[in-house]
Amino acid sequence: MKHSVNRPPTPDAAEDQGKEPTLQEIINIKLIESGEKERLMELLRERLIDCGWKDEMKAICRAYIKKKGRNNVTVDDLVHLITPKGRASVPDNVKADLLQRIRTFLMSAAL
Amino acid sequence: MSVPNEDNTQLSSHFYGDLLDSIIVDVASECHRIAKLGLDHNLEEEEEEMRLSAQARARVTDPSNSGETNNKYVVDIFGQTHPSIASEIFECMNCGRSISAGRFAPHLEKCMGKGRKARLKVTRSTTSAQNRYSRGSPVSTYSPFSNPTSTHILSNGTPSVAGEEYSNGTYEGP
Repeated sequence: MKHSVNRPPTPDAAEDQGKEPTLQEIINIKLIESGEKERLMELLRERLIDCGWKDEMKAICRAYIKKKGRNNVTVDDLVHLITPKGRASVPDNVKADLLQRIRTFLMSAAL
Repeated sequence: MSVPNEDNTQLSSHFYGDLLDSIIVDVASECHRIAKLGLDHNLEEEEEEMRLSAQARARVTDPSNSGETNNKYVVDIFGQTHPSIASEIFECMNCGRSISAGRFAPHLEKCMGKGRKARLKVTRSTTSAQNRYSRGSPVSTYSPFSNPTSTHILSNGTPSVAGEEYSNGTYEGP
């Protein structure tokens, strides 16, 4: 057979099927398909607005933008800016509530 | 098969982190958008305030300002100016004339109130006049007096016209 073209070998279909989806992936799919992920996200969003967390983050962003000039800022900059502070400043009860709900879902979706 | 506890906790934390990250990205994206589109008027706040306060100070200390009521171009807290005499023109609901807003009060005095000619118009049986609202005047529903055109006609005292009006008089008063 002429090997006029250098091609990597076609991925073996059988090999692919051998990869089991991880538990995480399975649960993720269940979360999304049942609509629970969206519900949880909206709940968390609402809680974070109510407790002033969103305003805090927005203030941090605005201060940064003011300093840097609004045309010199990327979304990425802002994400990296508020991620550490953001994760740390979620009120404990909000975090606990969300974790509880997720755990409940995990148990009800017991595999 | 039940998921062991530690895994459960770890998984929950993983998904919680996932949700939080999405929300953080949303907030960052929103702030970025507002900044780029220039929708945040407070962004240049300090400079703007310094400029406005300097302006206000200049205006206050300006000797040519004799007082707010006299100055036609005084600016209110929203930055709007009002001419001291209102110049909008609209229709008087009583007589139907076009009146300038600044002259409306004195006009109404004459049109509705104390004047000799005004009294004549009104006297002509107001109750029957009130039955003749119809005639398509949109203002007639809230005007305390009846349709202006009909009162005009009434003041001329032409009985035939009055008779015509009556045939339409099924219209209800307010």
